[in-house]
Amino acid sequence: MSLMNSIDRNPLEEQVRLVSRYVAGDLSRSERAEFEAWLVASPELAAEVEMERRLRRGIASAARRGWLKRTAPERLPRQRRWQMAIAASVLLTVGLGVSLLISGEDGIASTGQRLLSRSGGPANSPLVVRLGKMRSLSGSPDIRLSQAALPSQLIVEPDVVVLTCADGAIELECAAGGTPQTPQYTEYEVDLVNRRGSTLAWRSARQQPVMRTQLSFTLRDPGNLEVGEYDLIVRGHSADHEEIVGRFWVQVSAR
Amino acid sequence: MSSPAADEIARIVAEALTGDRQAEGRMLQALRPGVLAVLRFGAFHRWIDAEDLTQETLQVVVERVRARTIDDPRKVFAFAAATARNLALNAARKMLRQQTVVDSELVDELAQNLEMEQSDLSDADDRQLAQAVAQLLEELPTERDRQLLMRFYLDGIDKQQLCQELGLSPKHFDRVLMRARSRLRTIIERRAPHLALFPRITSILLPLAMSFTVWVRHFGSW
Repeated sequence: MSLMNSIDRNPLEEQVRLVSRYVAGDLSRSERAEFEAWLVASPELAAEVEMERRLRRGIASAARRGWLKRTAPERLPRQRRWQMAIAASVLLTVGLGVSLLISGEDGIASTGQRLLSRSGGPANSPLVVRLGKMRSLSGSPDIRLSQAALPSQLIVEPDVVVLTCADGAIELECAAGGTPQTPQYTEYEVDLVNRRGSTLAWRSARQQPVMRTQLSFTLRDPGNLEVGEYDLIVRGHSADHEEIVGRFWVQVSAR
Repeated sequence: MSSPAADEIARIVAEALTGDRQAEGRMLQALRPGVLAVLRFGAFHRWIDAEDLTQETLQVVVERVRARTIDDPRKVFAFAAATARNLALNAARKMLRQQTVVDSELVDELAQNLEMEQSDLSDADDRQLAQAVAQLLEELPTERDRQLLMRFYLDGIDKQQLCQELGLSPKHFDRVLMRARSRLRTIIERRAPHLALFPRITSILLPLAMSFTVWVRHFGSW
């Protein structure tokens, strides 16, 4: 059955479902071709697709910034309440344990699931820097900090996560026709290394990518950095392997 | 493809296929949002310049329409989508091939090319988008709908599982998603109109410029 026939029978549900599946990369190759022909023919559908992307990105961004409160659902079906009560107890116990373990660390835990339950923004302006790949090879620093006007926090969001197929292969399209969906490494961390003496100035907690590719590392007190040049090194970690996946140039000046 | 807008576009493309130059310009303008959406697909968009490739795709499409080798609007849509996909794949392949030589002397050159990796949103725009989404979530009528969106989009929980856990029907799930998109569009249009999906000036001028380019190229004079 073609996608279009399916949509003709049940337009709203099918369109919502297809737009979500398309943006998530879950359509097969043939479904994708059919959907994209329809997309080209319909600016309205294109607007839906764009808004789906905006929604996904906006939610992830709001979560990283600590603007989303995550609480339990207010109403559950009667027959499932006992199951959810047990699950909630287990989650609460695990959550308390994890909270104790990660207290004092930076804003995102290594599980990547503690998505900033704080409310409101920080007191002073943090600096959020989004970095592409290998920018340090250009002629100027990727991040410039001045000790005269330091941000309250430095939040680094490197775009370094490569998606692979389920078998770990780095391909543009996987064997089944879908797009790569699995981050190459399960965890990522950042080192800030002072070039003078190659000393480690800061190491982040490890974290898993959010929404498959998004990382956000928070240096809580940039005021501790000395004047000088630094390498900001992003490492990917798997169970038996680690690799530098991004390297950036940070400059701290006196003024 | 039963919506009026799509039918109207099919009619415009059919007119363009008869050689109507004015319809050609309208066709390019109508196809642009969809082509751009295709080029921003999935993982590839990080490696391509979607705006440039949209222009390239539409150039190929208009040349094919003028050559009269396609006779059905539906085939034009499929051709445009396939052309966009192929151009995106080629650009991504080129980028990935370049990434395999990160230790060679070509690195500097590669670093220059990687400027095209920049996000389509600035930090300020990303912040405004996050604010809009936070407002959207705040305005949702029930905590359950909020949980639905966050767990679906942030945690990646699939629809079936969420419907079971939250006691929702699939129809209700779809309605929440649809309303969320619609409401987000309204909020963005009010708070940050430049982030809404209004056509950029290039999207208006581009079809005119391309029609003119193709016209000059084919007929060699003004």
